[in-house]
Amino acid sequence: MALLEIKHVFKFFGGLAANSDIDVSVESGMILGLIGPNGSGKTTLFNCITGYYPPSKGEIIFKGQRLNGLQPDRVCKLGMARTWQKVRPLAKLTVLDNVMVGALARTSSLKVARDAAMEQLRSMRMEEKAQRLAGGLSIGERKKLEVARVLATKPELLLLDEVMGGLNPAESEEIIQLILQIKKRGLTQMVIEHDMKAIMRISDWVVVLNSGEKLAEGEPAQVVRNPAVITAYLGDANVA
Amino acid sequence: MRVLLQSAASGILIGGVYALVGIGLTIIFGVMRVINFAHGELLMIGMYLTWLIFSSLGIDPFVSIVITIPLMFVFGAIVQRTLIHRVLNALPQNQILLTIGLGLVLSNLVMLIFTSDYKIITTRYSSSTIHLAGLPLSTPLAISFLVTSVITALLYLFLLKTDTGQAIRATAQDRDAAQLMGINVSWMSVLAFGIGTALAGTAGALVSPTYYIFPQVGSAFTLKAFVIVVLGGMGSVLGATLGGVIIGVTESLAAVYISSGMKEVFVYVLFLLVLLFKPSGLLGRSRM
Amino acid sequence: MLVFVILAALVALPKLVTNPYALHLMILLFLAVAMGEAWNIVGGYCGQYSVGHAAYFGVGAYATLMLLQYRQVAPWWGVWGAIAAALMISVVIGSICFRLRGPYFVLASIAVAEIIRLVVLNWKQFTNGAEGILLVDIPPLKLGQTLITDWLSKTPFYYLGLALALSTLLVNYLVLHSKLGYYFQAIREDQDAAHSLGINLTFYKNAALAISALFTALSGVFYGLYIGFIDPPGVLGLDTSVQMVLICIIGGIGTILGPVVGALVLVPLSEVLRANLLSKALFVLGLVKETSRLGNFLKENLAHAHVLIYGILVVVVILYMPDGVLGFLRKLLARNVRPLAPSSRPVVGDLDGPA
Repeated sequence: MALLEIKHVFKFFGGLAANSDIDVSVESGMILGLIGPNGSGKTTLFNCITGYYPPSKGEIIFKGQRLNGLQPDRVCKLGMARTWQKVRPLAKLTVLDNVMVGALARTSSLKVARDAAMEQLRSMRMEEKAQRLAGGLSIGERKKLEVARVLATKPELLLLDEVMGGLNPAESEEIIQLILQIKKRGLTQMVIEHDMKAIMRISDWVVVLNSGEKLAEGEPAQVVRNPAVITAYLGDANVA
Repeated sequence: MRVLLQSAASGILIGGVYALVGIGLTIIFGVMRVINFAHGELLMIGMYLTWLIFSSLGIDPFVSIVITIPLMFVFGAIVQRTLIHRVLNALPQNQILLTIGLGLVLSNLVMLIFTSDYKIITTRYSSSTIHLAGLPLSTPLAISFLVTSVITALLYLFLLKTDTGQAIRATAQDRDAAQLMGINVSWMSVLAFGIGTALAGTAGALVSPTYYIFPQVGSAFTLKAFVIVVLGGMGSVLGATLGGVIIGVTESLAAVYISSGMKEVFVYVLFLLVLLFKPSGLLGRSRM
Repeated sequence: MLVFVILAALVALPKLVTNPYALHLMILLFLAVAMGEAWNIVGGYCGQYSVGHAAYFGVGAYATLMLLQYRQVAPWWGVWGAIAAALMISVVIGSICFRLRGPYFVLASIAVAEIIRLVVLNWKQFTNGAEGILLVDIPPLKLGQTLITDWLSKTPFYYLGLALALSTLLVNYLVLHSKLGYYFQAIREDQDAAHSLGINLTFYKNAALAISALFTALSGVFYGLYIGFIDPPGVLGLDTSVQMVLICIIGGIGTILGPVVGALVLVPLSEVLRANLLSKALFVLGLVKETSRLGNFLKENLAHAHVLIYGILVVVVILYMPDGVLGFLRKLLARNVRPLAPSSRPVVGDLDGPA
């Protein structure tokens, strides 16, 4: 049984079908790349899965449990965590405190949380920044903080929404290495990205969305050569 | 049955004035996204201004409106430029606190200058009634309603037909887009607050013959104005118009059939119900 | 440590200073600190700006005084009634208001407080309506056969007030250094992010409100017992709610010492106005003639101006010092001490250093 099953999920906003009959299976341990042009419904799908809003139709099954509309905090406690497309640092708290908030999802002891948070920061080589206010970080640092914070909640499934957006090549490379490391730790990941090269490098499986529907899925090399996918991204004239 | 009709009619008349207050508040919110908690105090200032003109120059309150409106507009513009302008990008909670503070300053300044003594404006027709379809209606209220209708009509014309009016509506719909299209949004904010203040002041002028005038009179109107605006939909002028009349009638009926002291409780409970169940109001957009 | 010295001084004060007015000022100070610290928990840490906190203050005062006056229930039992009432109301208010965000929450909190005020005002058989409740006397407090106090001087109120203020400070400290504190602040900083990190918003917001309501109600009880008279505008009005918010934002919202600073600014200021000290000072200094028109005007009106000053202070603080006096000082120090490094003081934890 897959870790996460998205079965015939629809999400309507008024008359607009932001997600239309989406069917995705995420196997344990894999990195699934979710790609598609802007507005194709990727973040909407993340929001549905994590309980930000319930799907209009369809089932979301995580570890055999039906989620549909379960509140985001419960989803997190079950082991699914997400980062945000527009980074959301807890600005007036320090970097350490930010990660501690994540860690407190698994313990009520401040000491245990603090140790876990420092450990997380150390593994991402951020420990010197521990006492800095999150609001004062650069965009790259904020993205890393968000990942650290969410990892502190000890998820089994990690949803990364455009975590490389706005980063320079060096920072993006750091994130890629981080994602591969996380995979080695045994976590499953679902990654929304626009950076094709990155998606090719990290994904075991790729799902393509377009205008709210699933356009294609398969191994990265196959998907990238799929004419329908190329059309969706680049327009008809560019189909090789 | 007569009682029902009469109180409903009174409610509609006062509802017109409430609508003016609500329209002013909704324009301010629509253009600036600021929740003006000092709105009732602006109305109060309108009342005192009218009383001053009446007691020193002997000009009838319904006539002195032509002086009150421009004065209140200028006052509103000044308040916007000096205070509101600075918190346009602050936390909404801070914006509300600022306007709460402003309200306190206005009501207490007035108390300092004029004392808390109740003032009244009595004209020849203050307690007379006219008869419409056999129902006795308070003359001043009836005249208020007429004036309100005229002003509301003029306002609609302004917003729908003039360039400036349309620019204001554009700013209310999408501030950034409006700016990109060359609209001076800061100036729109000044206009909006000026108009909102002028409308509140006018409402104050219109009710001055029928209400006691005292520094704290504004606070009852403020919360009522919010009910009206939330009921009608934040940012919707038509909604505020409808909301004003609905609240006027509700209040009037509650005063007659339940108790005068508790009529405000009714309005506040309605407020909470709307906030909880239909936050976008009858005609507006949801802000939550 | 400095803290112990201050504490010792405060405990010893009534033995050394017997001027009842001085004691009165200190009591008002303790009350203000308690009110501010209580509000700070839900407004400062959790970011939910309730401007209707007078609801808990007034309900606390009314519950205890009504029990005392009409049912002869001693206040040390009656206070439990106040706590129960405040907690019940906080649950109701929370369930209504916490669905709303930002300014709508503020408006709803004001509306609820107004409803409570109007109900108390109109429920004359129960609450004596606009006439308020005038306390006749408080039964003497005995432990077994020994008389602890008969409440006839200011001293017992001084110690009670001190205990109240200290307990609110303690609660603030404990909350801040616990999971609650971290979660409250996460909610304040970004509610949706907090939600996605496993924080049950409803539970924690209501927890913050409950703690805050409890101590606000205790402040109300203390006020009622000390002043001896309560009426709807005095304990359930918007002025009282604004005052609580003001104490916090003047000092520095979301800090432990912020409300203390706020109280230290606000209480002397209002007393100076209320007791006409400012006018008297102007007369004594010869700047204004007491018998002149200005002099008479000042004498008559400055006493009522303290609410005006509240309003002006709110405006000034919001415009120029949104982080309060403490925030202002912190920025000043950060700029002077380390001109090039970004501000690195931890915010979670008190001002004495990292948590």
